[in-house]
Amino acid sequence: MGLRKTAAVLAGKTTGTLSRLTGRGGGTTLPGDVARAIDPKILTRLTHDLARGSIVITGTNGKTTTARLVSWLLEGAGYKVVANRAGANLIFGATAAALNKAGPDGKLRADWGVFEIDEASLPKAVEEIQPKATVVLNLFRDQLDRYGELESIAKKLERALATLPETARAVLNADDPRVAEIGLSLPDRPLWYGLDDPSVASKTLPHAADARTCPKCGASLIFDAVYVGHDGVYRCPNKDFERPQPELTATDIELDGFDSLALTIKGTRIEMPLGGLYNCYNVLAAYATACSLGLEPTYIAERLRTFKAAFGRQERVEFRGRHLILVLSKNPAGFNETVRSAVDQAHGKNFIVGLNDRKADGTDVSWIWDVDFEQLKDRAELVIPAGVRAYDLAVRLKYAGVKAEAPQTDPAKALDLLIKHTTEGDVAFLLCTYTAMLDLRAELVRRGWASPYWET
Amino acid sequence: MKFTVGWLYPDLMNIYGDRGNILTLLKRAEWRGLETQLREIGRGPANDQMEDVDLFFFGGGQDREQALIYDDLKQNKQESLQRAVEKDGAQVLAVCGGYQLLGHYYQTADGRRFDGIGMIDVTTQAGKKRFIGDVVVRTDIEGLTPMSLVGFENHSGRTFLGPQAKPLGRVLVGNGNNGADKTEGAIQGNITGTYLHGSLLPKNPQLADYLIGKALTRRGGGALSPLDDSAELAAHGWILQRAQRR
Repeated sequence: MGLRKTAAVLAGKTTGTLSRLTGRGGGTTLPGDVARAIDPKILTRLTHDLARGSIVITGTNGKTTTARLVSWLLEGAGYKVVANRAGANLIFGATAAALNKAGPDGKLRADWGVFEIDEASLPKAVEEIQPKATVVLNLFRDQLDRYGELESIAKKLERALATLPETARAVLNADDPRVAEIGLSLPDRPLWYGLDDPSVASKTLPHAADARTCPKCGASLIFDAVYVGHDGVYRCPNKDFERPQPELTATDIELDGFDSLALTIKGTRIEMPLGGLYNCYNVLAAYATACSLGLEPTYIAERLRTFKAAFGRQERVEFRGRHLILVLSKNPAGFNETVRSAVDQAHGKNFIVGLNDRKADGTDVSWIWDVDFEQLKDRAELVIPAGVRAYDLAVRLKYAGVKAEAPQTDPAKALDLLIKHTTEGDVAFLLCTYTAMLDLRAELVRRGWASPYWET
Repeated sequence: MKFTVGWLYPDLMNIYGDRGNILTLLKRAEWRGLETQLREIGRGPANDQMEDVDLFFFGGGQDREQALIYDDLKQNKQESLQRAVEKDGAQVLAVCGGYQLLGHYYQTADGRRFDGIGMIDVTTQAGKKRFIGDVVVRTDIEGLTPMSLVGFENHSGRTFLGPQAKPLGRVLVGNGNNGADKTEGAIQGNITGTYLHGSLLPKNPQLADYLIGKALTRRGGGALSPLDDSAELAAHGWILQRAQRR
């Protein structure tokens, strides 16, 4: 047993080094693949070495940021953390991350594992990792060609959470009706969190809202507040279902573009350099997780002040006095929020909107019609449709009444156009799907404006 | 002239970018100076909501949502929809789930039959493999330029046409109705059914205009004035080109 584990670790680590040396990317998943072929139980064995245990984070939107927040909090408290940081969130990515930190003797010497896990991979992850805490952020429609319908993903999560060890805690977003439905079916009461601030809520659901009916009677839910997508404060008109009362709520929310947010959780004021209402959920989820692990609120608040965003998540790139802000936007709920934050709070004028249809983006681009690009109308001054499916975006923008530039499938040309029209001191936004962001970022790296992502 | 689009169950049957079809119908009518109106028809009694609708749109839903509208469709909508289409000459465009529900029945893998409302002569049975990917079709509708339709399919149902329904077109790339007989979609009287989303109408403006034109005939509408469709046709052409390369 021990020998097999050591062999798997060594093979995996070598693959990672080779992959980085040959410039084939950050070695974020391939090593996991190799090691698992030698020892299929390698992830269980490695995470078993952890002094404290693991935390698993899943949900459609916000996984990377929340996982990074939790790691940040644990590291600041003096713990050694293993995390799959580069958005490599399948089981192979988690395995590769654990391998990377394992010693040559095959032992993983760290305190905590913090893993962001793709929704569809959660059952396997929970089974192999046996986490101390599992966080479910939200469930939105996303890449229907790959994941299938929301319901089948929700059912998978339900089964996964039902198998959690007794000592494990489920940390759940009470504001998401579909997540709440899962949580209410569990034998133990989860740690619920939710937003509670009418000043940042709207009254109506966006078009792309999914979980809008009562799981018991099927009636349309009444939303007293809508925060992000279909996440808000809701109840069934027949009193069959309602938002579970959250233990932890965020109140007195203040948003300042993509620069900062402030909120209060149980009397603790948190101010930090991360923007957007959707990030209030991520901060609250990280706070709830950290509290459940025994960290002190005053420490959490202090530590969050100096947090830095992850690759492509509100990452900033400077070029000759121009500020480019990269915001990953990969599904209707996410896109609506990033556009809203860019336009409403950051008063953004110049945009690249990037759409690819590779496997990691979803091969079906129909969902762009669920995004409210109408928010850009008469407010954005320069909108460049970019990416493999730039032509589809151009049509979407036309029907949204947004005046857009000619479609640019070449990332270099899209960037040239953006720079040409963005004057010194101005801010421009790059809102892109996953591989469209990779393409643009590769071009930024090529020009020496940004560093390769696995170094950040 | 007024042009009213009736969207059946917009909150529940809207899974594959169906709003793209609605926006395309409305905008293209508005750009011709027509006064447009969108009637969102949810669950509950139809009352007089359906009487003045020129074109109904019926999209696809997730299984859970589809189960929620199933009874309502039969109890509250079937009669008024039939009257509007067969007596008053309204048009219907149905995509994916909506298309299946307008047929005679849907048969599950274990042999259970769920009756549709039988307005078009098609039947559907569950298939094992899901058809997912780009589709290119050569349409059978006369006078449509271009004759190609492009879209994206994502369905496991296999739909077969009866003698009264004619295919919307022949499959050049992808699977279409059932992956076997090369047909895609169905046309019967005022009803057009299809598996294509992507969304369908934005990248196929000629089909959008065809449907608007037919819907307005009953109001005495003539030919629609031409629009600048370069953006739409560029997106259409991009899919055709990629399909050829593969």
